[in-house]
Amino acid sequence: MIHCNMEELLALRANEGSVWGRQHLDDCAVCRAELDALYQRVAQLKALPPISPPRDRWSVIRSQVIGARTRHRRLWVARGLAAAALLAGVVVFRPFGGTVAYADELERAKQQSASLETELQRYDPDSRVVSGRAASAAAELEDRIAAVDGWLAQLNGAPAGPDPQLVRLWQDRVNLMQQLVDVHVTNAAYVGL
Amino acid sequence: MTISLAVPDVLIARAKSGDVEALEALYRAFETPVYNLARRILRHPEDAEDVLQETFLEVVRSIRAYRGEGHLWGWIRRIAASKALMRIRRDHVRAEEVFDEESTEGAPPVGVPARIDLERAMATLSETSRAVVWMHDVEGYTHEEISEMMGKTVSFSKSQLARAHTRLRRLLEGEGIAR
Repeated sequence: MIHCNMEELLALRANEGSVWGRQHLDDCAVCRAELDALYQRVAQLKALPPISPPRDRWSVIRSQVIGARTRHRRLWVARGLAAAALLAGVVVFRPFGGTVAYADELERAKQQSASLETELQRYDPDSRVVSGRAASAAAELEDRIAAVDGWLAQLNGAPAGPDPQLVRLWQDRVNLMQQLVDVHVTNAAYVGL
Repeated sequence: MTISLAVPDVLIARAKSGDVEALEALYRAFETPVYNLARRILRHPEDAEDVLQETFLEVVRSIRAYRGEGHLWGWIRRIAASKALMRIRRDHVRAEEVFDEESTEGAPPVGVPARIDLERAMATLSETSRAVVWMHDVEGYTHEEISEMMGKTVSFSKSQLARAHTRLRRLLEGEGIAR
């Protein structure tokens, strides 16, 4: 007599068994016993006692988290100082800027930024499933964009015409926006949405 | 294994805001189930400890992305399972083996009696087979989910499960009818 092999028994357990398998099971006490043994084995697996970690790893994790935050803060302080220096440069050298070429570049960067904003809204990232890695990358980019916006807001307060520093800030914003859109587009493609 | 894994929403909210005490509370709530999952899959305890650490570093980095859809344990468990499977894959690549190599399967190791208990029988399986058995039969992942996480086909997952159960049966019950 041919008995059910393990694949067939597993399929029967998952209610995916063949017609032959189901009929055979009705007729064969040996295979019914094997299926029962399979159920019992799985029940025993589920009943195994949990194994606790032999050592506490939290102190290592905590020190890495704190270290990463400290590095992040130092980076932002450095960026803040650089931004302050940039702002000072803009204020000091403003009288020598303001050429037509800069005005064109500035306008182009603003238009690119606006079109990327529109593209981002079209993907509606807030309502999408997002992987941890993508969310982390997006959060980092959003922070950096917010910082650039802060600097732009300060510059907008000063009566200035187009200058290289202002153009560079807008171009930085465009680059960051492009990266943010890429993160969301890649994530949307990955999750098939 | 029955452990209460309910976590108050307010604790999750605090962890999302970066509160280190809340993050530690999450670690305390889930360290055993995460370690247990990794330990049941991986052969070496130190590898399971590394997975525990990598999992919680990922949790800390990504907790803001957790949207509260489904149980937090399901989200953390998926991270832990991915880390454990990544480690199996990496170790196999280092050893220049293929992912589904069953180098440890076949005859029971020397010194293993004909009938042994379930934990020792599980220990004789390859890490890949153990991973499939544990994730499918205990954690409740489907073959589709397992194959996706392993980067393999559904039939690979199914055949690994069948081979593992055949071996477990042989070790636990002795040689029965030929199949």
